[in-house]
Amino acid sequence: MQSKLIYVIFTTVLLMAGILVAICLADSVPNTAGMAHADFAGMQAGGDGAARLEHIGGLAFAFQCLLLLLIVCLSALGVAEQRRSTELWLYMGGTLLFSLFVWWNMYSGHQAFLETGTTDYFLGFPVATAWQVYGTWLGAIPLILLYSLGFRKFIFTAEDEQKYEQLLAEIADKTER
Amino acid sequence: MEAYRQEIIVGAVVIYMIFCVLTGLWAMKRTKNSSDFFIAGRGLGPIVVSLALFSSTLSGFGFVGGPGLVYSIGVSSFWMIVISSTGYALGFFLVAKRIRMIADVRNCISLPDIVAARYNSEAVRFLIAVTIVLGVMGYLATQILAMSVVMQAILSGTDTFANIGLVACVVISSAVLIFYCVTGGIIASVYTDVVQGAIMMIAGILILLTAMSVFDGGMQEATSIILADDGEAMMPFGAAGIMASLGWFFVFGLGLAGQPHLVTKMMMNKKISDNRTILPMSLFGYVMAALLWVSIGVIMRAAVIDGVIEPLALPDDAASVFLSVFTNPLLAGIVFAGLFAAIMSTSDAFLNIGTAAIIHDIPKAIRGHSIKNELFWARIITVLLAIVAASFALYSHFQDATLVAILGAFGWATFAASIFPVLAIGLNWKGATALGAITAIVAALLINFIIQLAGIVLPYGILGGLISFVVSLVLFIGVSLVTKKPKLGADMEAVMNI
Repeated sequence: MQSKLIYVIFTTVLLMAGILVAICLADSVPNTAGMAHADFAGMQAGGDGAARLEHIGGLAFAFQCLLLLLIVCLSALGVAEQRRSTELWLYMGGTLLFSLFVWWNMYSGHQAFLETGTTDYFLGFPVATAWQVYGTWLGAIPLILLYSLGFRKFIFTAEDEQKYEQLLAEIADKTER
Repeated sequence: MEAYRQEIIVGAVVIYMIFCVLTGLWAMKRTKNSSDFFIAGRGLGPIVVSLALFSSTLSGFGFVGGPGLVYSIGVSSFWMIVISSTGYALGFFLVAKRIRMIADVRNCISLPDIVAARYNSEAVRFLIAVTIVLGVMGYLATQILAMSVVMQAILSGTDTFANIGLVACVVISSAVLIFYCVTGGIIASVYTDVVQGAIMMIAGILILLTAMSVFDGGMQEATSIILADDGEAMMPFGAAGIMASLGWFFVFGLGLAGQPHLVTKMMMNKKISDNRTILPMSLFGYVMAALLWVSIGVIMRAAVIDGVIEPLALPDDAASVFLSVFTNPLLAGIVFAGLFAAIMSTSDAFLNIGTAAIIHDIPKAIRGHSIKNELFWARIITVLLAIVAASFALYSHFQDATLVAILGAFGWATFAASIFPVLAIGLNWKGATALGAITAIVAALLINFIIQLAGIVLPYGILGGLISFVVSLVLFIGVSLVTKKPKLGADMEAVMNI
C-alpha cells in the first residue's frame, strides 16, 4: 500500500497544481482579491462576491476537496504501513467525508447568501462563516482523536515500543564496544 | 484604577521580564552541555512541551498582526487559525514520532541533523541550515522590532519615560531576551514558554469575554454590522477572496509541520508516548490564545463601521486601541504581558535553532564535524545573533526597509515549502531521495525569492507561497520517484519501519 499511497498523494498534488494553472489562466474579474473600502482607509472590501466566483468557483471548490483528500492521505502516510488496516482506512474515509461535509455547507451557505442576500446566524456568525469557524476547527478533531485515543493501536504500539527499545539497546551495545 | 492605567501596564510587563531573567538564572544550573542547550536533553514532560509548542506557534504576529488583518480583510484571515487543528494533527502524524526516534538513535540536536541522518546527505543538511539561518534573521529582526515598538508605545505614555527612543527600547527588550536565552538555553526558553503560554491563554479568554460585551447584541451584532456594510467581508472567504483564503489554509495547515522552531520542540519530550497528550493540549492552548485574534479584529472593524470609535490610522493598531478603549487597566496589563510573551517565545525558539545551525550544522556540513566546546560557542553565537538581528531591525526601520522585505520572504511560507516535503514526507516514505530533497528546497527558495523580489502579483489573490509549496511537493515526490531508491542505514531502516 505504501507505493500506492505515495502515488495517490502525488496525483492529488499534480491535480491541485493543474487547478492552480487553470485559475491563473481563467478570465479575470476586477477586485478578485479585494478593493479599498470606500469609507475607511486601511480596510478592504470584497464587493461583488458572485462576480469574483463566476469563472473560478468550481475550480476553487475542487481545489479544496483535493486538499482535504491530501490531508487525510498524508495523515495515513504518518501511520506505519503495517498498521494501515481496513479499520484505519474506514476511519480516514469517515474523516474525509466529515471534512467534505463541512466544506460543502460552508461553500453552499455562501452561495445561498450571494443569491438571497440574507443569512441566519449561529453562535455569533453568519451560518456559512460559522461552518468555517467552528466546522473547520472541528473538522480535524477525528484525526486528533485517532492520534490520541488510537495511539497504542495505530501510532506507537507496545510492539513498536519494544522494537524501539531493542534498537536503542543494540546501538548502546555497539557504542560501548 | 483608570488614572494609573499606564503604570499598571508597565508594572505587568516589568514583572513578566523579571520572571524571564530569573528563569534564565535557574535554567543555567541545569544546562551542562550542548544537548541541554539545544534540546533540553530530551527530558521534558508533556505539559511543558505542549505549552512551549503552542506559544512558539503564535508569535507577536498573532497578537498584533492577526487582529489587524481581521480589521483589514475581514474573515479571510480566519483561515490562518481555523486550520490549526489540522496543522497540529498533521505535524504529529507525520513528524513527532520519527523525529524523536531519530534524535535518540543518531543523537541529533537540530533539525538539519535529522535530515542529514535521514538522507545520509551533508548537502541536504547544509541547505536546511542555510534556510534556517536566513529565516531566523528575518523573523528575529521583525520580532525584536515589534517588541521594541510596543515597548516604546507603553513607556512613552508614562511621565518618566515620555521621551524614550526606539534604540533604547531595542536594547532593553533584546537584553532580557539575550539574558535568559544565553544563560539557560532552550531549558530557559521552554520554561518561560510555559508561563508565556499560560498568559496568552488567559489573555485570549478574557479578551473574548470583553469583546462580547462591547455591543449589546454581543458578537452577532458586531458581525451583522460588518455584513451589512460589505457582505463578502463577513462571509467565509472575506475581502481577500477564495484563493487567498484557501492558500492560507494550505500554507498554514500543512506548513506547520515544516516550521523548524516548532518541529524541533518535538525532539524534546522525555517519552514518545507523551505525544498522545501533547497534541490535544497544544491545540487547546492555541485555540484559547487565538480567541484574541478573532474577537479583537471583528469588534474593531464593527466599532469603526458603526461609528463607535474613530477609524484606525493603521490596521495593526487594532489591538492597542481595543485595549485602551474597551478594557480595564489590569486586563490591558495582562494582555500586554501576553504580547511580550508571544513575541519572546517565538524569538527564543528562533535564536536557539539559528545558533544550532551556525555552530553545529553548517560547520558539520562543510568540515564533517562541528566545532569544539559547543556550549561555550552556543552562548557566544546566541548573543551575536541577537545583536545582529537587533541592529538589522534598527537599520531596516530607519534606513532601508527593503532588507526586511527580502528576508521577510523567508517567513512561514518559505519554511513550509522548503522543509515540509523533505521532513514530513521524507520521514514517512522510504523512497524519498536526497536529490528529491535538494531539488525541492532549491525550487522553494527560488520561487519565493523571485515572487517576493519581482513583486509578482498572481491572479485571484493566489499566494506565492502556495505556488512554491505545491511545486516543491511535486518536485520532491516526482524527482524521488525517478531517481534510484536510496539504501538506508540499518538503524534508519528500523526507525522507518516502526
